Amino acid sequence: MQGLIDTKDLTRKFDNLTAVDNLTLRVEDGEVFGFLGPNGAGKTTTVRMLCCLIGKTSGQATIGNYSIDKEEDCLKIRKMVGFLPENVGLYDSLSAYRNLDFYGQLYEVPEPKRKENIERLLKLLGIWERREDAAGTFSKGMKQKLAIARALIHDPQLLFLDEPTANLDPEASKTVRDFVIELKKEKRTIFINTHNLDEAERLCDRIAILKTKLVAVDSPKNLQRSLYNRKTIVHLDHISKDLVAAVEKLSVVKNIRTNDNKLILDIDTPEKDNPEVVRTIVKAGGNIQYVTELRSTLEDVYLKLIREASTQ
Amino acid sequence: MRLWKSWIVTRKDLSVFRKNKYVLYSLIAMPIILGVVLPIIFIFALNTQITSGELPREQVLAAVNQIVGLATMYFVLIPAILPSIIASYSFVGEKIEKSLEPLLATPTTDGELLLGKSLASFIPCMVVTYVGAAISAIIIDFWSITTPQIATIIIPNPYWLLVIGAIAPLACIMSVEANIIVSSKVNDIRAAQQLGGLVVLPLIFVVIFASTSAQLSTILALAVIIALAIADIALFYLSKATFQREEILTKWK
Repeated sequence: MQGLIDTKDLTRKFDNLTAVDNLTLRVEDGEVFGFLGPNGAGKTTTVRMLCCLIGKTSGQATIGNYSIDKEEDCLKIRKMVGFLPENVGLYDSLSAYRNLDFYGQLYEVPEPKRKENIERLLKLLGIWERREDAAGTFSKGMKQKLAIARALIHDPQLLFLDEPTANLDPEASKTVRDFVIELKKEKRTIFINTHNLDEAERLCDRIAILKTKLVAVDSPKNLQRSLYNRKTIVHLDHISKDLVAAVEKLSVVKNIRTNDNKLILDIDTPEKDNPEVVRTIVKAGGNIQYVTELRSTLEDVYLKLIREASTQ
Repeated sequence: MRLWKSWIVTRKDLSVFRKNKYVLYSLIAMPIILGVVLPIIFIFALNTQITSGELPREQVLAAVNQIVGLATMYFVLIPAILPSIIASYSFVGEKIEKSLEPLLATPTTDGELLLGKSLASFIPCMVVTYVGAAISAIIIDFWSITTPQIATIIIPNPYWLLVIGAIAPLACIMSVEANIIVSSKVNDIRAAQQLGGLVVLPLIFVVIFASTSAQLSTILALAVIIALAIADIALFYLSKATFQREEILTKWK
């Protein structure tokens, strides 16, 4: 079984600098895949290699059934992928419509379909009314939307988005995110390079963390769970030594800490084990005010992994 | 190579140039000055001597031939020089607008892209050259017909046709390709134009030699035209060989 994107030991060096080191990953068809990493981690280099914009130093990569090594395959890969670079790169003196029309022609979209796609995308992104205005007169957010429309003009099977919300205000970022969610519903495969952890967590089915080498890859939830124990916090009106001793005896509690009137418990499966914990506390005379779960954020995971990767 | 793909790139570039006043004015200025203003000044100077009755008919005709020769030469120089304005902008301009990366991500080959860019420079340069040459010819012919000592149409003549019809476009192609090679190698519009200007200098000597040889013998002129055509094809393939997508994307600032 082959993924839509498959890489094996993909490496890219620039003189003595290794930008991407032995990257092996698989992205399935229909998946929204997030690529996280600090500046200079090799995210853009990876995307450029996968879009056949630059070559590799060693390793292999395929998009669908096409290899990035072969010149004739590269044209087919470029035809099947949509690419939003970090810099939108629109023709400022040309109208929004003309910008899309130009790319539609280069992607070999027949004229009736091209017209239909331009109208649909511009309407969907709320810039149809300004289709005849020069792109240079657009705000940053509108330019970004137009660039996304450009990447989608040929209905690509695979979409590469390099920092799609970088430098956008919160409202424009939300519009772009909402649009990606719409695309996700259409079952498109989307590969997102981002610094925005919240965005990655909300949009992506799986996340890879890159720091030249692949540090981790999993679903956001699994990444959080794999690195930090799940914690249950029990808020009480007061905590006694007997109560702590009673809870400590429970095998489901891996670790116990107190903070003011809170018991902080490491429990692997709180859904299953919390009722027993609550019964034990009540039996030991504890007055429970409420019970909450403390989850580690993707930011915690990301920072921990990147720190570990830096020290290796 | 799919020519229709190149034509898409050409049409887009022409639309961008049309909206760039700097490029437009630069394109129009040179043919007006060299092809229209200077012949008018020469004619005016010659006319003063003719009307004062200072010059015999033979001398008048010799002077007229010199004016025609100069005007013809200008219209070889113009298509050799003008591409340094447009062609030097071709890749550097895309890089400045940061539009090169999405353009290179499209299913378009290097050859298609380079041919499209070349045509986008070639077409406006030749259009202004031919419009300027036509206006210049009309001015010179109007004057020659209305001047009793001459009273005949001077342009077109075989030499003018050969130079304007064959040597001028070949000189233009040569300059376009040289400038595109420069444009794909540098990362700054000023550097592109300065280097483009330098590249044009030896071309100017080549086209002056070609034009002069065309005056001497038709066979020599044909040989020069064939040599120019071969050089143009070689330059196109050289531009293709030196065009490195990766270098443009990773090394340009």
